[in-house]
Amino acid sequence: MRLIRSCLLDVVVVGLLTLACSGGDDGRVRVLAASSLSDVLPLIAERYGEAHPEIEIELIFAGSTTLATQIEEGAPADIYIAANRAQAERILSAGLGTRDVAIAANNLVVVVADAAPWQTIQALAASSPRVAVAAPGVPVAVLTEIALDTLDAAVATALRDGIVTRDPNVRVALSRVETGEADAAFVYDTDLATAKGVRAIELPPQPSTNEYIALLVTNDGDAPTEVAAGFLAFLQHDAAADVLVEAGFIPVTVFQ
Amino acid sequence: MTRLRPLWVVAPGAFALFFVLPLAGLLLRALTDGDVAGEFRSSATLDALWLSVGTATFTLVLTLLFGTPLAYLLARSRSSAVRVGAALLDLPLVLPPAVAGIALLTMFGRRGYVGEPLDGAGIALSFTTAGVIVAQLFVAAPYYVRTAYAGFFAADPRFEGVAYTLGLSRWRTFRSVTLPLVWPALAGGALLCWARALGELGATLLFAGSLPGRTLTMPLAILAAFESPAGLAGAVSIAVVLVAVALVLLVVLHRITDSRGPYQ
Repeated sequence: MRLIRSCLLDVVVVGLLTLACSGGDDGRVRVLAASSLSDVLPLIAERYGEAHPEIEIELIFAGSTTLATQIEEGAPADIYIAANRAQAERILSAGLGTRDVAIAANNLVVVVADAAPWQTIQALAASSPRVAVAAPGVPVAVLTEIALDTLDAAVATALRDGIVTRDPNVRVALSRVETGEADAAFVYDTDLATAKGVRAIELPPQPSTNEYIALLVTNDGDAPTEVAAGFLAFLQHDAAADVLVEAGFIPVTVFQ
Repeated sequence: MTRLRPLWVVAPGAFALFFVLPLAGLLLRALTDGDVAGEFRSSATLDALWLSVGTATFTLVLTLLFGTPLAYLLARSRSSAVRVGAALLDLPLVLPPAVAGIALLTMFGRRGYVGEPLDGAGIALSFTTAGVIVAQLFVAAPYYVRTAYAGFFAADPRFEGVAYTLGLSRWRTFRSVTLPLVWPALAGGALLCWARALGELGATLLFAGSLPGRTLTMPLAILAAFESPAGLAGAVSIAVVLVAVALVLLVVLHRITDSRGPYQ
């Protein structure tokens, strides 16, 4: 019995340690990326894998602000791709990242159901819609606030009054329109590519887009690995840019 | 046997420590980086707190009113169909809250089977405080009904039979014979239900959304703070407020649960 007990304990302890230590091998790049990249980044990783089959790209998606907090708290990561410069700056100014590069930009749109009657933002605002936006501080929410400020005051007020939820990230906000719970949501142009039963209402020309900033994460105090630097370089490469443009992102050359 | 003794002490001790340490970390972090006193004065946090305590308590009241007779009927029925129904009660307990939220959307959402006609009649549940209660009820009530069912099942129905032969009415029998027997189970189940409702996050977010003053309960406020640029420092401070309030309420509830209540 004694043997069985101590063996059982060993098994549990060893098992937990194995689970806890499953990171850190050299052939792997762990990328924490903004949710709005969750459709395009797997395609880029696939393209990279064609040339570098020995390297495993691990992709984790969440809101940029959530990821920044996790990196601050020491989450194991090699690359962070934020959906705006502010969140990238958070990591850079804390000395937790290096070598930041802009890889693409995105436009804000208002998304409604295909069957919805509204063709313009004014028509939408006039029918007291239920509006889904992202939570304060999330990059798409920052862009949304700027966009609302550029609209006619009455239209902006009607849309602001119609906000029924402030969601953790842009994809949750989009799902509110897909499920019919909300009438409209402020999302990125590119989010529509894989969304079903929805269409975009164009906004007036915006004063700003948001940039996607990729950087090497150094929150463990170690120098970035070669393979991480390799994937970061690929993100700036034409092959990656092609995939981004194909998915509707604005190429980096346009805004630099 | 003597050599085994340390293990018997160390293993449970380490296990207990496993629950205490993260809470200690939360408190330490909140005291060093956060602003707990500020959160206790922040109207946004207090709004979320009252919404949480209010909705969880309302959920518990609904659960007690409707769950107690349900648990009693299930426990006293001899029909095999009802037995299957009792087994189904366990199902919401194993569902991830996200599944609960999606399930609620399919039925009570604006395009749901029941939600669509309701929406046509001008009644909306999603993105409302009522929706928060619906989500909590779905997730938390089974904890009460399950526990109460076990209590009623264990209480020997022959006591009730004796009471009836003595001429007591059904209600008097329930109140003076059955209820004292099952009181600990009911009180324990109520505690579980209320605590689960207070902590509800996933189903609430998916079904009721996240809007301050309307659907932003404390768990959602903590998530929102974690996701905001305030990050962990903001989240731990609000979390400590919730832990402190929950602790006080739990101590009060435990005093009721541990005693035999009005049936000393």
